[in-house]
Amino acid sequence: MDRQPDQQIANMHGTAALPRRNGELVFHDDWERRVFALAVTLCEQGHFRWDEFRKELIASIAARDNSLENTDLSNSGYYVHWLAALEKTLANIGMIPLD
Amino acid sequence: MTGDGHHHNAPPNPFLENRRNAAETRVLEERTRKLEELLVSKKLVATDALDRLVDLYENDIGPTNGAAVVARAWIDPDYRQRLLEDATAAIRELGFGGMQGEHMVVVENSPEIHNVVVCTLCSCYPWPLLGLPPDWYKDPAYRSRVAIEPRRVLKEFGLELAESTEVRVWDSSAEIRYLVLPERPEGTERYSEAGLAALVSRDAMIGVALVEPPHK
Repeated sequence: MDRQPDQQIANMHGTAALPRRNGELVFHDDWERRVFALAVTLCEQGHFRWDEFRKELIASIAARDNSLENTDLSNSGYYVHWLAALEKTLANIGMIPLD
Repeated sequence: MTGDGHHHNAPPNPFLENRRNAAETRVLEERTRKLEELLVSKKLVATDALDRLVDLYENDIGPTNGAAVVARAWIDPDYRQRLLEDATAAIRELGFGGMQGEHMVVVENSPEIHNVVVCTLCSCYPWPLLGLPPDWYKDPAYRSRVAIEPRRVLKEFGLELAESTEVRVWDSSAEIRYLVLPERPEGTERYSEAGLAALVSRDAMIGVALVEPPHK
């Protein structure tokens, strides 16, 4: 396969950085893989720019950090924010209806 | 972290410390499935293409920045000195980071000393410099045998060392990651820094291979 991973996705920094263990991506559940694949594929197809998605991802993570009332959310895991950010990004461009 | 104090990397991210409960997982699965079905029904994505994409990222070997570090050390004696004294700082000079607090130590090969790196407990590895570890690095046989009979293991890699060469085995840990600075091969006096970097293999920086001269 001659396709290469997009380095702006593979090497995101800060809170948005992909969880890795000794360099390898870490997924806990299969739906996390699906969300990852959906977001990256739709971006590759040109439906949105990666920084548009990343902005929503960072915002979702930051909102979690700022929520004081629900301590359970602190352990919701990284890809919950991918799902929220993808839904938001797709709603922004009108690809899915806003809830 | 774990009881033995040995872990690969301090997680830089909100990892899940515990499994989600089943009800939470079902809700998230359902949300994801609905989204995927909607996009598939609009013919925006295809299910098998999604599988291939994840595979691509999971098997990305990543950067091999270590070769640039080695090449710089070969052409710049001052850099080489800094690298051997404080590898973490010297590597950061070149803009390579991403380690989570582990210290880098660079060990230099010479005609008298050959260095080889292992992680006997698991597979600690300087991945921001070398990309993903090769399968054999994680293999229990390599991890246990290279410490006991390094010459024999190296021979199996096709690397036969002179009897007079001392072999030093470095055991990586969560706190310290090692990188081998191989010997610069003969016949590369006129090589540019980029040309030199292209000669340096991942295996040479683990210590199971030498950097071969360009014309053999």
